[in-house]
Amino acid sequence: MDAATIKLLAAGLCMGLGAIGPGVGVGLVGLGALNALGRNPEARGQIMTYMILAIAMAEAVAIYALVIAVVLIFVV
Amino acid sequence: MTEPKPASKKKGCLGCALPLAISLIVIVVALSVFGLMGGAIGQKLFPGIHMPAWLSVPKPTISLPAEAIFNLGPLPVTNTILTSWITILILLIITFVATRKPKMIPGKLQSIVESAIEWMYNFCKDVAGETNGRRFFPIVTTIFLFVLVNAWMNLVPGFGSIMVQENGVNAFPLLRGANTDINTALALAVISFVFVTYYGLKDGKLGFLKQFVNVGRFFKGWGQLFTGKAKSALGNIGFGFIDIIVSILELVSYFIRLVSFTFRLFGNMTGGEILVLMFMYLFTWVFFGGVQLIYGFELLIGVVQALIFAGLTLVFATMAAEKHGDEGH
Repeated sequence: MDAATIKLLAAGLCMGLGAIGPGVGVGLVGLGALNALGRNPEARGQIMTYMILAIAMAEAVAIYALVIAVVLIFVV
Repeated sequence: MTEPKPASKKKGCLGCALPLAISLIVIVVALSVFGLMGGAIGQKLFPGIHMPAWLSVPKPTISLPAEAIFNLGPLPVTNTILTSWITILILLIITFVATRKPKMIPGKLQSIVESAIEWMYNFCKDVAGETNGRRFFPIVTTIFLFVLVNAWMNLVPGFGSIMVQENGVNAFPLLRGANTDINTALALAVISFVFVTYYGLKDGKLGFLKQFVNVGRFFKGWGQLFTGKAKSALGNIGFGFIDIIVSILELVSYFIRLVSFTFRLFGNMTGGEILVLMFMYLFTWVFFGGVQLIYGFELLIGVVQALIFAGLTLVFATMAAEKHGDEGH
């Protein structure tokens, strides 16, 4: 394999593997939020805010992978 | 950018007359098929069909470092710096116009600004408590508004279309979202970092520093060993050692926070921009549900990222400023 092929492969693998963890994380956050919502439907607004905050924290990990993938394709 | 057509299509047979609804649906579907064939995917799928050139968008060129427009002495002024200046100007103008003559019964602009500020104020008070919320509110809201206006400005149609010419060819856009440059994101992260550390030192005092240099129990254990309380001394030395490792981890994560703040904002803004451009390239803009969806998503991402940056700063500042007990962390 030449360098260009490996670069593309690395970018794809980086994004694909990097998305596994955040996917699980976002799922768990959603699970927790829905459980909380089921127990206490009045707290909808607050749960929503914190859920979005937590989701974005989990999603940030995928964003790091995205940054690496973008750097691999467009910069290196 | 979202055309009104999908909305009226949704009402469809309910809202408008049946012929009108059907013709709208036909137009939307036709445009979508047309757009799909014009894009890069369609060109690969149906290589024989030639679409008009104005429909297809050239493959986006992405450059991660910002381009210098002109030099101010030894300092190059990049297009992202220009954009952050414009952001500051927009915020200044809006605030000035809205609060120049405040009325008891607010007009449209005044009530928009007031409700936005009040919402942010309540958010600060919810997270940080009454007194701290009031103190942290100005800088947290400034970060929030700066990031938000920046992200939305990036989405204004025509924003990136003004090109700077170099040797007669279009070289790079004159305006570019400030947070698509890693330096702006880093600067914001440093501001938030300094802010958190300042309030940690001011309010948390020794408790704040003790998180990072937690050697008390370790040395206490050694002292006990020499004064002859061997049993508790060994326990204290063991737990003190764990304390030291934990405090080193705490210190490292305190600095890693700077990196994660930077990359979260930079990655989200850059990723969003690349996503929009790539969808334009793959499907063209008349393909309904492609760029329009991503565009709406980006509007949401702008708010969420601004809220996250401001909210995390607020949370960390609150954690740093709270009075630490004897236990420490």
